[in-house]
Amino acid sequence: MPGKSPWKMAAGAAAIVLLAAGCSGSTSEDTESLPNSISIGIVEPSSLVPSNTVEANGSQVLASLFYPLVRFDAKGAPYPVAAQSITADKQKRVWTVKLRPGFTFSNGEPVTADNYVNAWNYGAYGPHAQDASYFFKRIDGYADLQGKDADGDGPQKPGEPKAKEMRGLKKVDNLTFRVTLTEGFAGWASVMGYDAFYPLPKAAFSGEGELKKDFGEAPIGNGPFKIKGKWEHDEKIVVEQVADFKGTVPKVAAITWKIYQDLGAQYADLVAGNLDVETKIPIESLGSASGDLGNRLGKSPSSAFHFVGFPVYEQKYKNPDVRRALSMAINRGEMTDQVFLGAETPANGFVSPVVNGARPNACGEACEYNPTKARQLYTAADGPKDIKITYNVDGGHKAWVDAMCNQIKASLGINCTGVGEPKLKTLLDKVRAKQDVGLIRLAWTMDYPLMESYLGPLFTSDGSSNYYGYKNSTFDSLVRQGSAATDTAQAVKLWREAEDILVKDMPVLPLRFGQNVFGYSERVTDVTMDPFQKVDIYAIDIAG
Amino acid sequence: MSDYNAVSTVEAPGKSRTLAGDAWLDLRSRKVFWIAAVLVVVILVMAFWPSLFTSVDPRDCLLARKHAGASGGALFGYDFQGCDVYAKTVYGARDSIVVSVSATLVAGLIGLVVGLLAGYFGGWLDALLSRFVDVMLAIPFLLGAIVLAKRLSADPQSNGIVAVIVTLGVLGWTTAARVMRSAVIEAKNQDYVTAARMLGASPARLMLRHILPNAFGPFIVVLTVLLGINIAGEATLSYLGVGLKGDAISWGLAIAEAGPYARTAAGPLVWPSVFLAATVLAFIMLGDAVRDAFDPKLR
Repeated sequence: MPGKSPWKMAAGAAAIVLLAAGCSGSTSEDTESLPNSISIGIVEPSSLVPSNTVEANGSQVLASLFYPLVRFDAKGAPYPVAAQSITADKQKRVWTVKLRPGFTFSNGEPVTADNYVNAWNYGAYGPHAQDASYFFKRIDGYADLQGKDADGDGPQKPGEPKAKEMRGLKKVDNLTFRVTLTEGFAGWASVMGYDAFYPLPKAAFSGEGELKKDFGEAPIGNGPFKIKGKWEHDEKIVVEQVADFKGTVPKVAAITWKIYQDLGAQYADLVAGNLDVETKIPIESLGSASGDLGNRLGKSPSSAFHFVGFPVYEQKYKNPDVRRALSMAINRGEMTDQVFLGAETPANGFVSPVVNGARPNACGEACEYNPTKARQLYTAADGPKDIKITYNVDGGHKAWVDAMCNQIKASLGINCTGVGEPKLKTLLDKVRAKQDVGLIRLAWTMDYPLMESYLGPLFTSDGSSNYYGYKNSTFDSLVRQGSAATDTAQAVKLWREAEDILVKDMPVLPLRFGQNVFGYSERVTDVTMDPFQKVDIYAIDIAG
Repeated sequence: MSDYNAVSTVEAPGKSRTLAGDAWLDLRSRKVFWIAAVLVVVILVMAFWPSLFTSVDPRDCLLARKHAGASGGALFGYDFQGCDVYAKTVYGARDSIVVSVSATLVAGLIGLVVGLLAGYFGGWLDALLSRFVDVMLAIPFLLGAIVLAKRLSADPQSNGIVAVIVTLGVLGWTTAARVMRSAVIEAKNQDYVTAARMLGASPARLMLRHILPNAFGPFIVVLTVLLGINIAGEATLSYLGVGLKGDAISWGLAIAEAGPYARTAAGPLVWPSVFLAATVLAFIMLGDAVRDAFDPKLR
């Protein structure tokens, strides 16, 4: 049933209730029918607690409820927003954040340095198991908040951590706090733009360092919008403007985040005019989208980086020549044109071009389609005759994995099969158990606009998302030196050198860089999306 | 059947008349039977020797040919991945037929045993087995099939053929069992069965030698129709993502893959659908014709 979704029925039910209540003089109003409100489609967020939100949908909703310390300009450089100033010492190790005065949470509480300190300590505390906790890793004292786990990832519960508060995080006065890092990091101001660094009001906590259980159901933020009622799971989240907001005031009065299970149904709603913005047009509809939407179809670069990795325990891919040959056997341009209809772009590097310092063709010859050379190299290196690419079936990856396999088959004359795992988690579990999975499909979206946001988590030995286990100590030290560099040019230079090592080693095959392909209704205008895959809620406006 | 033209036929005297023999005589004169039979034979040949119909490898796909139209080599054009739709459709017959025949055999075997025991012994055993059939019939087919197929095909490396066979077999035997049971009840009261029993034949001998051959006709009819239903069932499960997968080539898979792009390229969706519909129809028509032939009341 395309176009029929639960919220519609809910809206219908609500209308009946309103009708029934009409004569009793009820003041309740249907936000969706307000002239100055819009609706944006999302997928059910996994959480609305800032320190536990690591996916785009939750992040998108939080962006309306909270006001970040920094935002990013078109070049990806941070500028203070909720902060008045952010300054660092010479070594870029001690950072002082001064807050802009006069801001309040939507419940009326003034925003103070304590709100930041408490929220960050909550997020970093190991036993709270917050998904975005790793963002606080650089702060001095983070390690003491993690319990020692005697048996690694085993069943035994980790012990009680040594401390509840990071010693590197200190309140100076009501509107100032100081962050001390374990080592200098020039990009720290950018990192603080992430969701995990939002402040939390006193009302969020039930006791010392403990969050109220249902805070995530109706988060109270310092942003331009406040949540109306509660998060209605699998249906919608309605937010409306707070009065007298001190920061940038959005142009729309309210936003309904409509939750969909299916991008296809969402697209049908968009075309029918029941939804104002769809942030991701489904691949199947790309062919007809320009006809359906005309100039209401938009594209903008996103930071997504799609690749396949070679787990280190897969001995047959140990030879870098085998990996390089596979890379040259793939026609990336054909894949983005034919499968994604230009909605994504071929990846010729390991860092998305939206990031300052990324080079357009870092990978060079190794990422260019060259079947003859690929075959020579592959035969000379005695690559495996039969390869597998494992992917998760819930993410719509089958089409391009099959296409990639067909390209490899044609270029190298070997056999290639795509193997579908139900979920990414089951796939990663198998990688951890060192099972025979072949190549693994992965993707990465940056946390902050720095090259390090790709190189660090994905390729350093202790990177949080280095699932394939790539290890190269020269690479590690180059990335670390780049992070500690005091000026951006020096950092970029070192990070580029690190990327060159990746080109030699080819621990993964870079495939595509993502783009936001979004559509909107005739009701709205000025719809833009940032590289974090979020709609700019400050720019969007009602048409006419 | 004793009153059927018994005396005036021109058959050679002495040739015994059986239910199946009569049915065959009747079938030979039916047009529907011949159309269905020819279709079924063509599809069976296609399933066993696909190379007779096409020399193209269905797994030879080039993205550059995405959704290209029909040309000399490719009768039906190319699909999203640039595979030859005609070759894929021809090769798709094999898995469909293998799954359907195997699932029907599984269902037939269960149905035969349950129906025979319930019908012959009657009493509490009949009551028990018949209620069990009722319970099985109460399970909505799609719900049961999705749950079962999902559990059975958990291994991502398998192509799901065994899982689909078991699913369709386990859920599809009920009608066969019911038909078997009523045919056995009818046959066991015949004089020759009573006579055999008088002569001291064991229940096993009675069932296998005397009752089964005479109850088999209606049973075969149900199975023929079931063949068609199972082909559709396999396509349904594959379409829903719990059937065949990976390397397998099947009509259901092809339909599922082409569905989302139907607005830009209809061919890859239409052709496997046409083959699927024709095959199901052929088996059901064949089953219908055979049933009519077996049923003396319809003559």
